[in-house]
Amino acid sequence: MMKQKWLYFGVLTALFLLVLFSLGSGLWGSEQSGRHWTEKLFYGVCHQMPDRSFTFNSLPMAVNSRCFGIFFGLFAGWLTIPLSYKLTFKKTWPVKLLLFAVILQIIDFSGNYLQLWVNTNLSRALLGFLLGAGASLSIGDLFYNNNSKK
Amino acid sequence: METEEINENPPPAFSNYLPSVAIVGAIFGVVSFVLSLFFGYQQINAEPTGSIFSPVMLSGVVVCLITCFGGAVAVWHYTKEVSSSLTLGQGSLIGFMTGAVIVLATVVFNEIWMLIDPDYTEKLIEATVANVEAMDLPQNAKDDMIDSMVQGVRSSQSVLQQIFWGIPVTGLLNLITGMIGTKLFANKEEESF
Repeated sequence: MMKQKWLYFGVLTALFLLVLFSLGSGLWGSEQSGRHWTEKLFYGVCHQMPDRSFTFNSLPMAVNSRCFGIFFGLFAGWLTIPLSYKLTFKKTWPVKLLLFAVILQIIDFSGNYLQLWVNTNLSRALLGFLLGAGASLSIGDLFYNNNSKK
Repeated sequence: METEEINENPPPAFSNYLPSVAIVGAIFGVVSFVLSLFFGYQQINAEPTGSIFSPVMLSGVVVCLITCFGGAVAVWHYTKEVSSSLTLGQGSLIGFMTGAVIVLATVVFNEIWMLIDPDYTEKLIEATVANVEAMDLPQNAKDDMIDSMVQGVRSSQSVLQQIFWGIPVTGLLNLITGMIGTKLFANKEEESF
Protein backbone atom coordinates (compact mmCIF):
# COMPACT_ATOMS: atom_id res chain seq x y z
CA MET A 1 0.00 0.00 0.00
CA MET A 2 1.38 3.37 -0.95
CA LYS A 3 1.72 5.85 1.90
CA GLN A 4 2.18 9.61 1.89
CA LYS A 5 0.18 9.90 -1.33
CA TRP A 6 -0.25 13.65 -0.82
CA LEU A 7 3.52 14.05 -0.68
CA TYR A 8 4.03 11.83 -3.72
CA PHE A 9 1.53 13.71 -5.88
CA GLY A 10 2.65 17.09 -4.54
CA VAL A 11 6.26 16.43 -5.52
CA LEU A 12 5.14 14.90 -8.83
CA THR A 13 3.26 18.11 -9.64
CA ALA A 14 6.21 20.26 -8.58
CA LEU A 15 8.62 18.24 -10.73
CA PHE A 16 6.24 18.44 -13.70
CA LEU A 17 6.15 22.22 -13.33
CA LEU A 18 9.94 22.26 -12.94
CA VAL A 19 10.32 20.54 -16.33
CA LEU A 20 7.73 22.81 -17.97
CA PHE A 21 9.32 25.98 -16.59
CA SER A 22 12.80 24.82 -17.59
CA LEU A 23 11.69 24.87 -21.24
CA GLY A 24 11.93 28.64 -20.92
CA SER A 25 10.75 31.46 -23.16
CA GLY A 26 10.24 29.11 -26.11
CA LEU A 27 7.17 27.75 -24.32
CA TRP A 28 6.14 30.65 -22.10
CA GLY A 29 6.65 33.53 -24.53
CA SER A 30 9.57 35.90 -24.65
CA GLU A 31 9.35 39.23 -22.84
CA GLN A 32 9.99 42.54 -24.56
CA SER A 33 12.67 43.66 -22.15
CA GLY A 34 14.66 42.28 -19.27
CA ARG A 35 15.29 38.76 -18.18
CA HIS A 36 12.58 36.15 -18.72
CA TRP A 37 10.89 34.96 -15.53
CA THR A 38 11.86 31.35 -16.15
CA GLU A 39 15.53 32.40 -16.31
CA LYS A 40 15.14 34.26 -13.00
CA LEU A 41 13.61 31.12 -11.50
CA PHE A 42 16.65 28.97 -12.30
CA TYR A 43 19.37 31.61 -11.98
CA GLY A 44 20.49 30.38 -8.56
CA VAL A 45 20.95 26.75 -9.63
CA CYS A 46 22.20 26.93 -13.24
CA HIS A 47 24.75 28.92 -15.24
CA GLN A 48 22.22 29.10 -18.14
CA MET A 49 24.80 29.50 -20.90
CA PRO A 50 22.85 29.53 -24.19
CA ASP A 51 25.46 27.55 -26.16
CA ARG A 52 25.31 24.75 -23.57
CA SER A 53 21.51 24.61 -23.59
CA PHE A 54 18.93 22.95 -25.82
CA THR A 55 16.56 25.18 -27.72
CA PHE A 56 12.79 24.99 -27.61
CA ASN A 57 10.88 26.75 -30.40
CA SER A 58 14.23 28.17 -31.54
CA LEU A 59 14.91 29.82 -28.17
CA PRO A 60 17.42 28.60 -25.58
CA MET A 61 15.84 26.81 -22.63
CA ALA A 62 15.98 28.43 -19.20
CA VAL A 63 18.49 25.82 -17.99
CA ASN A 64 21.48 24.14 -19.58
CA SER A 65 21.29 20.64 -21.03
CA ARG A 66 22.68 18.90 -17.92
CA CYS A 67 20.19 20.59 -15.59
CA PHE A 68 17.34 19.83 -18.00
CA GLY A 69 18.43 16.18 -18.02
CA ILE A 70 18.47 16.11 -14.21
CA PHE A 71 15.01 17.72 -13.93
CA PHE A 72 13.52 15.45 -16.56
CA GLY A 73 15.17 12.42 -14.95
CA LEU A 74 13.78 13.41 -11.54
CA PHE A 75 10.29 13.72 -13.03
CA ALA A 76 10.50 10.50 -15.07
CA GLY A 77 11.92 8.55 -12.14
CA TRP A 78 9.28 9.95 -9.80
CA LEU A 79 6.54 9.05 -12.26
CA THR A 80 7.66 5.41 -12.26
CA ILE A 81 7.75 5.02 -8.45
CA PRO A 82 4.30 3.38 -8.23
CA LEU A 83 5.15 1.07 -11.14
CA SER A 84 8.69 0.16 -10.19
CA TYR A 85 8.35 -0.55 -6.50
CA LYS A 86 8.49 -4.30 -7.01
CA LEU A 87 11.89 -3.79 -8.59
CA THR A 88 13.13 -1.26 -6.04
CA PHE A 89 11.51 -2.22 -2.72
CA LYS A 90 14.20 -3.16 -0.18
CA LYS A 91 16.74 -3.37 -2.98
CA THR A 92 20.09 -1.60 -2.91
CA TRP A 93 20.56 -1.14 -6.65
CA PRO A 94 18.76 2.24 -6.85
CA VAL A 95 21.21 3.76 -4.33
CA LYS A 96 24.11 2.16 -6.21
CA LEU A 97 22.71 3.61 -9.45
CA LEU A 98 22.59 7.05 -7.82
CA LEU A 99 26.20 6.77 -6.64
CA PHE A 100 27.26 5.56 -10.09
CA ALA A 101 25.47 8.52 -11.70
CA VAL A 102 27.18 10.97 -9.32
CA ILE A 103 30.60 9.48 -10.11
CA LEU A 104 29.84 9.63 -13.85
CA GLN A 105 28.96 13.33 -13.51
CA ILE A 106 32.25 14.05 -11.76
CA ILE A 107 34.24 12.08 -14.36
CA ASP A 108 32.43 13.74 -17.28
CA PHE A 109 32.83 17.26 -15.88
CA SER A 110 36.49 16.70 -14.94
CA GLY A 111 37.37 15.14 -18.31
CA ASN A 112 35.81 18.05 -20.15
CA TYR A 113 37.44 20.59 -17.82
CA LEU A 114 40.87 18.98 -18.27
CA GLN A 115 40.26 18.89 -22.05
CA LEU A 116 40.55 15.08 -22.20
CA TRP A 117 37.32 15.03 -24.22
CA VAL A 118 34.53 17.36 -25.31
CA ASN A 119 31.05 16.52 -24.10
CA THR A 120 27.92 17.56 -25.96
CA ASN A 121 24.48 18.82 -25.00
CA LEU A 122 23.13 15.31 -25.59
CA SER A 123 25.76 13.55 -23.50
CA ARG A 124 25.33 16.06 -20.65
CA ALA A 125 21.55 15.65 -20.78
CA LEU A 126 21.75 11.84 -20.76
CA LEU A 127 24.12 11.79 -17.79
CA GLY A 128 21.90 14.33 -16.03
CA PHE A 129 18.86 12.16 -16.73
CA LEU A 130 20.61 9.18 -15.12
CA LEU A 131 21.38 11.24 -12.01
CA GLY A 132 17.84 12.59 -11.71
CA ALA A 133 16.19 9.23 -12.31
CA GLY A 134 18.59 7.58 -9.86
CA ALA A 135 17.72 10.14 -7.18
CA SER A 136 13.97 9.55 -7.58
CA LEU A 137 14.23 5.76 -7.72
CA SER A 138 16.51 5.64 -4.68
CA ILE A 139 13.80 7.10 -2.46
CA GLY A 140 10.86 5.37 -4.14
CA ASP A 141 10.60 2.54 -1.64
CA LEU A 142 10.06 5.01 1.21
CA PHE A 143 6.53 5.42 -0.13
CA TYR A 144 5.73 1.83 0.78
CA ASN A 145 5.21 0.27 4.18
CA ASN A 146 7.92 -2.03 5.44
CA ASN A 147 5.35 -4.80 5.69
CA SER A 148 4.18 -4.39 2.09
CA LYS A 149 4.39 -7.49 -0.03
CA LYS A 150 7.29 -7.51 -2.43
CA MET B 1 -2.78 -7.76 3.02
CA GLU B 2 -3.00 -4.14 3.94
CA THR B 3 -2.17 -3.08 7.45
CA GLU B 4 -2.91 0.18 9.17
CA GLU B 5 -0.44 1.11 11.86
CA ILE B 6 -1.21 3.64 14.52
CA ASN B 7 1.68 5.79 15.61
CA GLU B 8 1.37 6.25 19.35
CA ASN B 9 4.23 8.74 19.52
CA PRO B 10 3.08 12.32 18.95
CA PRO B 11 4.79 14.01 16.04
CA PRO B 12 7.69 16.26 17.07
CA ALA B 13 6.92 19.95 17.44
CA PHE B 14 7.75 22.14 14.48
CA SER B 15 10.30 23.97 16.61
CA ASN B 16 12.28 20.74 16.97
CA TYR B 17 13.28 20.99 13.30
CA LEU B 18 14.39 24.59 13.47
CA PRO B 19 17.88 24.19 15.01
CA SER B 20 18.96 21.68 12.33
CA VAL B 21 17.35 23.76 9.57
CA ALA B 22 18.86 27.03 10.83
CA ILE B 23 22.36 25.69 11.55
CA VAL B 24 22.78 23.68 8.35
CA GLY B 25 21.00 26.32 6.23
CA ALA B 26 23.22 29.09 7.60
CA ILE B 27 26.42 27.05 7.16
CA PHE B 28 25.54 26.12 3.57
CA GLY B 29 24.50 29.73 2.92
CA VAL B 30 27.89 30.96 4.13
CA VAL B 31 29.76 28.32 2.13
CA SER B 32 27.73 29.16 -0.97
CA PHE B 33 28.34 32.89 -0.52
CA VAL B 34 32.08 32.51 0.17
CA LEU B 35 32.58 30.23 -2.84
CA SER B 36 30.66 32.63 -5.11
CA LEU B 37 32.80 35.47 -3.86
CA PHE B 38 36.02 33.48 -4.26
CA PHE B 39 35.24 32.53 -7.86
CA GLY B 40 33.91 36.03 -8.53
CA TYR B 41 37.16 37.73 -7.50
CA GLN B 42 39.12 35.06 -9.33
CA GLN B 43 37.24 36.08 -12.47
CA ILE B 44 37.78 39.78 -11.78
CA ASN B 45 41.52 39.39 -11.24
CA ALA B 46 42.16 36.93 -14.08
CA GLU B 47 43.20 37.81 -17.60
CA PRO B 48 40.39 36.97 -20.07
CA THR B 49 41.33 33.55 -21.47
CA GLY B 50 38.27 32.87 -23.57
CA SER B 51 37.79 29.54 -21.82
CA ILE B 52 34.23 28.29 -21.47
CA PHE B 53 35.20 27.10 -18.00
CA SER B 54 35.49 30.51 -16.45
CA PRO B 55 35.55 30.92 -12.65
CA VAL B 56 31.96 32.23 -12.77
CA MET B 57 30.76 29.11 -14.56
CA LEU B 58 32.64 26.88 -12.11
CA SER B 59 31.06 28.87 -9.31
CA GLY B 60 27.58 28.11 -10.67
CA VAL B 61 28.26 24.38 -10.87
CA VAL B 62 30.03 24.02 -7.52
CA VAL B 63 27.63 26.22 -5.55
CA CYS B 64 24.58 24.48 -7.03
CA LEU B 65 25.94 21.01 -6.19
CA ILE B 66 26.81 22.01 -2.63
CA THR B 67 23.56 23.81 -1.83
CA CYS B 68 21.50 20.87 -3.09
CA PHE B 69 22.98 18.63 -0.39
CA GLY B 70 21.83 20.91 2.44
CA GLY B 71 18.59 18.98 2.89
CA ALA B 72 20.35 15.65 3.40
CA VAL B 73 22.85 17.18 5.83
CA ALA B 74 20.09 18.88 7.84
CA VAL B 75 18.28 15.53 8.16
CA TRP B 76 21.53 13.91 9.26
CA HIS B 77 21.98 16.66 11.89
CA TYR B 78 18.40 16.20 13.11
CA THR B 79 18.84 12.44 13.48
CA LYS B 80 22.05 12.97 15.46
CA GLU B 81 20.88 15.79 17.71
CA VAL B 82 17.12 15.43 18.15
CA SER B 83 15.68 12.07 17.18
CA SER B 84 16.74 9.21 14.98
CA SER B 85 13.09 8.54 14.09
CA LEU B 86 11.82 10.55 11.17
CA THR B 87 8.98 10.19 8.70
CA LEU B 88 9.37 10.85 5.00
CA GLY B 89 7.15 13.94 5.29
CA GLN B 90 9.23 15.35 8.15
CA GLY B 91 12.45 14.72 6.22
CA SER B 92 11.10 16.48 3.16
CA LEU B 93 9.90 19.44 5.27
CA ILE B 94 13.34 19.77 6.87
CA GLY B 95 14.90 19.63 3.39
CA PHE B 96 12.63 22.31 1.93
CA MET B 97 13.09 24.66 4.89
CA THR B 98 16.86 24.18 4.73
CA GLY B 99 16.79 25.20 1.07
CA ALA B 100 14.81 28.32 1.99
CA VAL B 101 17.30 29.24 4.75
CA ILE B 102 20.23 28.75 2.35
CA VAL B 103 18.63 31.21 -0.09
CA LEU B 104 17.85 33.73 2.67
CA ALA B 105 21.36 33.50 4.16
CA THR B 106 23.01 33.90 0.75
CA VAL B 107 20.86 36.95 -0.03
CA VAL B 108 21.67 38.59 3.32
CA PHE B 109 25.42 38.00 2.93
CA ASN B 110 25.34 39.28 -0.66
CA GLU B 111 23.65 42.48 0.50
CA ILE B 112 26.21 42.95 3.27
CA TRP B 113 29.01 42.48 0.75
CA MET B 114 27.49 45.13 -1.49
CA LEU B 115 28.09 47.58 1.37
CA ILE B 116 31.71 46.47 1.71
CA ASP B 117 32.52 46.45 -2.02
CA PRO B 118 29.81 48.37 -3.92
CA ASP B 119 31.65 48.00 -7.26
CA TYR B 120 31.81 44.21 -7.06
CA THR B 121 28.89 43.58 -9.45
CA GLU B 122 30.13 45.99 -12.12
CA LYS B 123 33.69 44.60 -11.91
CA LEU B 124 32.32 41.06 -12.25
CA ILE B 125 30.23 42.03 -15.28
CA GLU B 126 33.23 43.69 -16.97
CA ALA B 127 35.46 40.66 -16.34
CA THR B 128 32.78 38.23 -17.53
CA VAL B 129 32.13 40.20 -20.72
CA ALA B 130 35.88 40.43 -21.43
CA ASN B 131 36.20 36.65 -21.08
CA VAL B 132 33.29 35.96 -23.43
CA GLU B 133 34.66 38.45 -25.98
CA ALA B 134 37.90 36.45 -26.02
CA MET B 135 36.05 33.21 -26.83
CA ASP B 136 36.36 31.63 -30.24
CA LEU B 137 32.67 31.85 -31.06
CA PRO B 138 30.48 33.58 -33.67
CA GLN B 139 29.62 37.16 -32.65
CA ASN B 140 25.88 36.48 -32.28
CA ALA B 141 26.62 33.55 -29.92
CA LYS B 142 28.89 35.83 -27.90
CA ASP B 143 26.18 38.51 -27.78
CA ASP B 144 23.61 35.99 -26.53
CA MET B 145 26.01 34.74 -23.88
CA ILE B 146 26.90 38.26 -22.75
CA ASP B 147 23.23 39.27 -22.55
CA SER B 148 22.43 36.16 -20.51
CA MET B 149 25.34 36.59 -18.11
CA VAL B 150 25.01 40.34 -17.63
CA GLN B 151 21.28 40.12 -16.99
CA GLY B 152 21.92 37.23 -14.62
CA VAL B 153 24.47 39.10 -12.55
CA ARG B 154 22.40 42.31 -12.52
CA SER B 155 19.21 40.50 -11.53
CA SER B 156 20.97 39.21 -8.44
CA GLN B 157 20.99 42.74 -7.04
CA SER B 158 17.29 42.70 -6.17
CA VAL B 159 16.76 41.19 -2.72
CA LEU B 160 13.10 40.33 -3.20
CA GLN B 161 13.75 38.78 -6.61
CA GLN B 162 16.47 36.57 -5.20
CA ILE B 163 14.18 35.35 -2.42
CA PHE B 164 11.04 35.05 -4.54
CA TRP B 165 12.69 33.22 -7.42
CA GLY B 166 15.30 31.39 -5.39
CA ILE B 167 13.30 29.55 -2.74
CA PRO B 168 11.00 27.37 -4.92
CA VAL B 169 13.69 25.58 -6.94
CA THR B 170 16.36 25.43 -4.22
CA GLY B 171 13.67 24.36 -1.76
CA LEU B 172 12.39 21.59 -4.04
CA LEU B 173 15.87 20.21 -4.74
CA ASN B 174 16.66 20.22 -1.02
CA LEU B 175 13.30 18.59 -0.32
CA ILE B 176 14.41 15.68 -2.49
CA THR B 177 17.85 15.46 -0.87
CA GLY B 178 16.03 15.67 2.49
CA MET B 179 14.15 12.52 1.47
CA ILE B 180 17.43 10.87 0.45
CA GLY B 181 18.79 11.87 3.88
CA THR B 182 15.76 10.26 5.52
CA LYS B 183 16.48 7.05 3.65
CA LEU B 184 20.17 7.06 4.57
CA PHE B 185 20.19 8.35 8.16
CA ALA B 186 16.78 7.95 9.82
CA ASN B 187 14.88 5.11 11.41
CA LYS B 188 11.74 5.48 9.36
CA GLU B 189 8.44 5.81 11.19
CA GLU B 190 5.38 4.33 9.54
CA GLU B 191 2.75 6.73 8.38
CA SER B 192 -0.32 6.26 6.22
CA PHE B 193 -2.54 8.81 4.55
